This record gives sequence, structure tokens and C-alpha cells, in this order.
Amino acid sequence: MNNWIYSFILLAAPVIAGASGGPESADSTPTGVSQGRQVYEQYCAVCHGWQGEGAANWKKPDEKGEMPPPPHDETGHTWRHSDAMLFKMVTKGWRHPFNKTERLTMPAFEDSLTEQEIHSVIEYLKTLWTDEQKKYQATESQ
Amino acid sequence: MRAIVHSTTKAAWGFCVFTLAIVLPALVQAQSADDAQSVKALTISSSGALLTLQGSDLFAMEGGTSTKIALPATDQSAQPTTLARGADGRVYLAGPGLGVWRYDGAGESWQSLNNTLPDLGVTAMAAHATQPGTLYAYLGKDGMFRSRDGGAEWVKVDSGPQEPVQAFLHSDMPGSMESGWLFAGTTRGVSRSMDCFCFWGDAGDLRGKVSAISYNPAAPENVYAVIERQLHHSADGGETWTSLKVPQPVTALAFSPSQGLVVGTANGNLLARGAADEWTPVHE
Repeated sequence: MNNWIYSFILLAAPVIAGASGGPESADSTPTGVSQGRQVYEQYCAVCHGWQGEGAANWKKPDEKGEMPPPPHDETGHTWRHSDAMLFKMVTKGWRHPFNKTERLTMPAFEDSLTEQEIHSVIEYLKTLWTDEQKKYQATESQ
Repeated sequence: MRAIVHSTTKAAWGFCVFTLAIVLPALVQAQSADDAQSVKALTISSSGALLTLQGSDLFAMEGGTSTKIALPATDQSAQPTTLARGADGRVYLAGPGLGVWRYDGAGESWQSLNNTLPDLGVTAMAAHATQPGTLYAYLGKDGMFRSRDGGAEWVKVDSGPQEPVQAFLHSDMPGSMESGWLFAGTTRGVSRSMDCFCFWGDAGDLRGKVSAISYNPAAPENVYAVIERQLHHSADGGETWTSLKVPQPVTALAFSPSQGLVVGTANGNLLARGAADEWTPVHE
């Protein structure tokens, strides 16, 4: 009997977690978002955090004089940019102009990801924002 | 003995009251005269005229003549404090109790742009450096608003920096994720954000209450700020600042295509900075 209960918990827990306010689960979202999440976890999460939480103290330059990776969730500013701008940032990369180094701190992914993968990761990022932020970003994208 | 002390004290009080009665009004008058004379705001019209806000009067100075421009008819409590020029050359006036107004030079009239602002408590405004219809207004109570249609519709876009904004500037300095940068002069110093309002950070470590801010459109990394009537210059977009000597206390700033940096002073003068960093009066 106990084994049945443990099995139920193991199977049901991810579904319950996905439905309780966190990023939408792969099973309950459109294919694009699901693919976007996979791409995010493979290419973006190592810097921007598994939940899109970004680096600590991301608003201040680090010891190298570089701006740390910002959050992509509702605490960051990703939602303030249009789809076109986000696509450009992922494709071409980005260096904050006041960084003390010359390198692209946000790498260019145009050789690693297809256009479709980049669009899907942007769709995934939208699941991390509030409704008000989604509305603002939709207006910016028009 | 007690009577002598009492008389002396009474005489001393009388002297103090008399002195205050004579000196205080003079001090207040001097302050008022200073305020009336001081150049509060400065901008350049599309024709190259210098527009100066002095006291509650607006003047256009061009070709050796100075013309007074009637301000919009508003409530007595309205305080015009800010002038800005849009990318299309149109002139804007703003201030607490006034909101934002646009000047129609041809019709010599003002148009209110306040229909969709939540209140008239605008303490600072800026016009986008390159987009004619984009305006920014900071309302002390409500935060930052942006209009993309010349003031017909204002939308709240941000709360702004932590400290209240006294002066506001949009610059087309390169390097922004969007179309430029915003510099906000606050009660603590200069705050800077890309015009996506991504986040406000300190522009260098210049500290104090900023009363005016401007930049050189021909070399946008050059930003100027006034703190406590002292002019400061940054040649690297606000990262580092140096103090500039000006012969009079500075109260307003503008960049003229023909004369370069022009400052308005507490004495009511306009001074232009020459090639050898000397300051010469701008003659009307």
C-alpha cells in the first residue's frame, strides 16, 4: 500500500508543482514554450538562473567591471523589450557599454541556435512574467 | 538693580525686534529679486533663438532682439520650471501645477498636453532626442510617464530612481538596448538608465541636488550637470565628472548648435563657453 502511495506522489508532484504558479510545465504548455524551456535550460540557465532569477547584485558591476546577467523573471527588465529586440540580443549578443572589458558578456547564439529555437526561448521567457508585464511587452512588440 | 536688568533686557529685545523688522524684509526682497532674475530654464528653438525662463516670464532672444512670450493662462500656483525642445524643434514648458504644454510658434499659443496625465505635479520633463512624438514627464507623486504621440496619451512606464527627479534629459548617446539614454538629476546626484527603463543606476559618484542637466548632441558622451549652482562635466557618459569653473553661479543649461554650451546664471546672464574654455556673455 505504501509503495502505491509513494508512486502516486512521485508521479503527481511535478504536475501539481507545474500548476501552482511556477513556470508552466512542459506537459501543459504549447510545444513552442516546451521547446523554449529546454533550450533555456541548456543554453541560458547557467548564467541567468534555472528559474530566470539572474545573478545576485545584477544591477552593479562585478569585480571585473562587467554587468552581471540580469534576471529574466518578473524582477528583471526582459519584459521591457520587444520580441524583435530580444531576438536581436540572443542572436548577436550584448556587451553593456560601460563594462570595463571588451568581450560580449551575453554571447551571440546565431551559430548555435536556429531562429525557431530563439523564438521558442523568447516564448518561454514570457511565462516568467506577470500579466501586466506581458501586456506591456506585447505593446512594445507592436 | 532688578529694575536696571529689566530695562536692559527690554531694550535688547526692542533692538532685536527693530533689527529683524528692518533686515528681514530686505533679505526676503533680495531673495525674491535673485529668484526673479535667475535663469530658471533654457532651451534653443528650431530657429536657433535662445528661450529663457526668468521668474515667471519667458523670453526669446534672437538676432539682437528679446521678445517676451506670454505663458499659458494657468492657476496662480503653477510654477513653470522646465523647458525642452523636441526632435522636431517644438518647444515644451512644464512645471508643478502646470503639467506639460507645447508652444505653437506660428499661432503664438500654448496647447495643454495634460488630458491623460494623472495630475499636474510635473517636476521634470524631457523630449526624446530623435523621435519627435516621444516625451517623458516625471510626476513627483506618480513616477515616470511617457507619451509616444506628442502628449495625447501618457502611459506610466516606471517609478523612476529612488530619489525625486529635479531635471530630466534624453540623449542619443550610443550603446543603449533601445533608442537612447535617460539621465535624471535627482536630490542625490545623476541617475542613468537606457530608455527601455531597464533599471536606474548611479551615473558616477557625483553627489548633491541636481538642478539642471544637458548634453552635447554632436558628442553625446559629453554630459553636463548643475549641483548647488556649480557646473560639472562628464566626457564619458556620466561615468566620471569634473568641475568646471564659471564666473557666475549656474542655474540653467542648453546646447546651442551655433554657440555650443550656454549657461544661464543666478544673475540673469547667459554665458557661452568658448573654444579655450573661456566664458563670454551671449548678446541678444
